[in-house]
Parts: sequence; C-alpha cells; structure tokens
Amino acid sequence: MSSLPEPVVSVTRLSKVYHSGFRMKRIRALEDISLEVEKGEIFGFLGPNGAGKTTLIKILMGLTEPTSGTAQVFGRPPRDAKAKARLGFLPESPYFYDHLTAREFLGLAAKLSGVQKSEAAGRVTGQLRLLRMENAADVQMRGFSRGMLQRMGIAQALVADPELVVLDEPMGGLDPIGRKEFRDIIVDLRDRGKTVFFSTHILSDVEMICDRVGIVIAGRMVEVGRLREILTGDVESIEVTVRGVTGKTQKILERVSQHSLKSGDELLLTVRSEEEVDRIMAISREVGGIRVVGIVPHRRTLEDFFMAHVAKAGGTRD
Amino acid sequence: MIDRISGIALNTFRESIRDKVLVTLIVFAVVVMGSSRVIQPLALGEEAKIIKDIGLSAITLFCVLISILVGGRIVYREVEKRTIYIMLAKPVRRWEFIVGKYLGLMTVLVVSLVVMTAAFYVILLVLGVGAPLYLLLAVLMTLFELAILTAVAVLFSSFSTPITGAVFTFAVYFVGHMSRDLKLLAAISPSPVVKAVSYFSYYVLPNLANFNIRPEVVYGVPLGPSALLLPGLYALVYTATVLLISTAIFNRREF
Ligand SMILES: Nc1ncnc2c1ncn2[C@@H]1O[C@H](COP(=O)(O)OP(=O)(O)OP(=O)(O)O)[C@@H](O)[C@H]1O
Ligand SMILES: [Mg+2]
Repeated sequence: MSSLPEPVVSVTRLSKVYHSGFRMKRIRALEDISLEVEKGEIFGFLGPNGAGKTTLIKILMGLTEPTSGTAQVFGRPPRDAKAKARLGFLPESPYFYDHLTAREFLGLAAKLSGVQKSEAAGRVTGQLRLLRMENAADVQMRGFSRGMLQRMGIAQALVADPELVVLDEPMGGLDPIGRKEFRDIIVDLRDRGKTVFFSTHILSDVEMICDRVGIVIAGRMVEVGRLREILTGDVESIEVTVRGVTGKTQKILERVSQHSLKSGDELLLTVRSEEEVDRIMAISREVGGIRVVGIVPHRRTLEDFFMAHVAKAGGTRD
Repeated sequence: MIDRISGIALNTFRESIRDKVLVTLIVFAVVVMGSSRVIQPLALGEEAKIIKDIGLSAITLFCVLISILVGGRIVYREVEKRTIYIMLAKPVRRWEFIVGKYLGLMTVLVVSLVVMTAAFYVILLVLGVGAPLYLLLAVLMTLFELAILTAVAVLFSSFSTPITGAVFTFAVYFVGHMSRDLKLLAAISPSPVVKAVSYFSYYVLPNLANFNIRPEVVYGVPLGPSALLLPGLYALVYTATVLLISTAIFNRREF
C-alpha cells in the first residue's frame, strides 16, 4: 500500500474561517478543500480574487492554522522546520527589507535556509544572474520597482535549490518579457525534477505550463485535473461562415443552427455540435452556389467557467 | 540553529544602525554629556561629580530610549511589512526568530553603550575632572537593566502595535524603578485592591532600581562583588523568562 510515492503536498478536508471586524463577522475563506500535488509536477491553483488561494498557501507555509482538516508538506505538518528546509516560498506582492542590498538579502535567505557558508556566495550570484538583477546587486532594495521586488522574491525562494517551490501570484508586477522568463524558470524547475505549486487568476499563466490545475471559487474546490479536460468537458460552440447565401437557403440553414447573423451574402451560424456542422456541410453540397468558408470552434474559456461558478456560488450564499 | 539566530540578529542590527532614529539618539546623548559643563555647579568641588552623574545618567536614559523605541516595533515591523512571511517560511523556528530579534537589538545597545561611554570618557579627560575606570561598573549595570527592558519591549512588540508597546514598556520601566515604594504601599494601604495591585506589580514587574549604582560609583562608595553578581543573575533569569513568554505568545500567532 505504501509503495506509492508520498505526495509532496497533501491537503485533506481543509476549512478556514476568519473572524473579522468589530462584529467578528465570520468569513469562510476555505471550505472542505482536498488536493494532492505529486513530486515533479507543476500545479496551478486558479481562482478569482478573494477565492482563498493565499489562505491555503499561508496554511501550507505554517503561517496560519486551519479551522479544521489537515495540511501536510512532505508528509509533515507545515510548521515542521524539516518540511520548510525543503521548500522555497514567494509570498503575494512580496516586500523585503529596505535597508538591505539585493546581495545581502539573498545572503540572509541562503543562511536561514541552511545553505553552507562556502556555497552561499556562489548561489547568491547565480540567482542574481538568473533573474537579471546583477546591476542592482549592491543597491539597497528601498528603491526597487514592483517587478524588481518580484524578481528578488523568486530569487530568495530558489536560493537554497528547494525540492518544492510555492509561489503566490508569481506573475504579479511582471511585464510580458518578465512573464516569459518566469515561465521558463518554472518549466526548468520541473525539468530538474522539482515540484511547483503556484496560484494565479490569469488563465494564460496556467494554460502554457501547468500539468494540473485546481480551480477554487469562493473557498470551494470546484475542479481538479488537467486543464484541457476541465474545459472541454463542457459544451462548446462552433461558428460556421457560409458564403453565397440566398433568402431560401438562409431559411434552411437557420433551422439547423442556434443563432445566425447575415452580413452581405455571408451568413454566420452558431451551432452546438460537430454533427450540426456536418449537416451544414451536407446542405451546402446539395444546394448549389453556396460554400462553407470558415469553421471556428469556440472552446469554453476559463473566464466563462469562472463566471458560471461565481454566479452559482452567489446564488447559494447569503 | 546558531546560524539562523545569528542571521536574524545581524539583519536586525543592520536595520537599526542604518536607521536615523538610532544615530539621532546617540548624537543627542553625546551632546547632553558634553553640555553638562554649562550647568554651573553649586559648590566648586561638586562639579566633577555632577558631570559624571549627568554623563552616566544620559548614557542610561538614551539607551533606555533606544530599547523602548526600537524594541517596541521590532517584531511588529516584520508583521506589518510582511517580511515575516519570508522569515517564517524558511526553516526558522519561531523561538529562534524571537531570540534572534532580541540578540540583534542587544547588539545595537551594546554598540551604543560603547560609543556613548567612549564619548563620556573623552569628555571627562577633556574637562580634566578625572576618568576613573570604576565608573564602568555603572555602565555594566545599565547593560543588565537594558537586557531586561529589551526583553519586555520584545514581549510587547510580539503582540501589540509600536505605540502601545512603547507605552507599556515605558510603564514597566517607570514602575520597575519604584519597586521599594510599591512594597511600602502594599504594606500600608488599607484598600485591598491597592494592596493586591501593588503586591502583584512588586513581584511580577522587574525590580530595576537595584541596577542604579550611579550614586555609589560617583561618590566612590566601595561595592562588593555581590552588588554586581546578584543583579546580573537576576537579569539573566528575568530576561529568559520574558523571552519564554514572548515565544509562547508568538507561537500562537497567525499571520
Ligand atoms: N486575515 C484575514 N482576516 C479576515 N479575512 C481574511 C483574512 N485573510 C483573508 N481573508 C478573507 O478570506 C477570503 C480569501 O482571501 P484570500 O486572500 O485567500 O484570497 P485570494 O484567492 O488569495 O485572492 P487574490 O487573488 O485577491 O489574492 C477573502 O474573502 C478575504 O477577505
Ligand atoms: Mg491572494
């Protein structure tokens, strides 16, 4: 039974209730969340603002305690220093010590993570190079831009070459080039056998690099799995453009489709299934003078997915 | 463990010495000591004693201020700026964090004491009023007192805001210097409430008046070794206890 490798992160029926404000209003930040992250995968934790992503990550880092349920990292409770020795963490919109230079700060991070003294300087320089921060290496971090702070954040998370990297909104504050570099870094980590767990609310971040995603909305895990499976499991729509349509053929074609739009001699038809596309093709072959000039499948986007779930969640909550 | 504690302590030390508050306080202390000449003595022979007394008092006062002002926000600042997330996600135990912060601040205080004392001796030599080394005993006692006070500041800082923390630490300092009066008050007060509060304060709050040996050294009263050893031991035990309580509180905190 225990021949299976132990998951790197395992969360079981986790709930977190915050009491906030003067009236101690109850906020259910997480409700009954379960998930496992295996060694060597990139796991994207996806959800709109306020979904509870940061809350879960803070619990995994031992910064906050769950109200119920358990969280384990490398099979240990999150507060265990032995678990923390094997991970690197980038908090959301990170902020560091104004008074330290980039190099001093990474040196501190290396020291606290247990990097040997003889290795520390090399590691620090390596991280500065990786994140293209060499020019700012000996400048106090006081004046760093948001993007530079984000880079320092990832550098301090990686400086001890951890097995697990936990990143809360790693792409925040980065320009398109920075995002691309970041994705490369994350993929490179996976290629080196590391496990990456990161949160985001931006679809394109996860689409390109994640092996698996968990989608959390209003504190509940609504889906866990491969992104493609999650999104194509739902109904798609297909737009078919037909040229040379006359009044009579338009009527026939409209009967097949859910929705139509005429513009000049082109008719844009929206259908639900591939069978319906086949029927339109058949009609176009039977009736002379018309031609199918475009077929565009519309996959359900993550935005649609969010919207649908947010609407549902809104309906069942106060 | 040593590496992590010293890392946090060094960071705290760097943060403080690159901070304007510290430099301002040290400069101010030196100015006060230097200007003690301006305060004209009542009797001629008293001048040297008054200069020494003012100097030693200034050293104590400004170090107490550093301890309260810097110490009062030492943990809070990391929470407020969210640097605590980075620290505690590393394999740093919470007690190591507290002890590291404490030792960092104590290093700052030792350096401040050394700088101020050096300036004090320079002033004594320049004024030509004699600079006997036994005055250092009073500085050592101040260091013991600071050890306790800083632990109290860290304790308050581990759960309250800087202003509340500073006010409470100052209150502890103030009441701690009235221990004898408190005991007296407890003995003679007819009100049971006053009695209880006084006894409580007397036994729980640190007895800081014992650390003031400035009159003795200034007037050259001979001191036995126990006059130093007992307060030193007391400071050690009291500090350790307060840091233990700080850790217990900090352990329960969520961020
Ligand atoms: N310390 C706290 N006290 C009270 N409520 C909190 C606290 N932290 C978070 N919350 C609430 O818990 C919910 C989840 O917050 P969380 O920060 O985990 O969301 P998130 O998914 O990270 O959002 P974002 O994408 O904006 O970062 C929110 O409703 C938030 O207001
Ligand atoms: Mg968040």
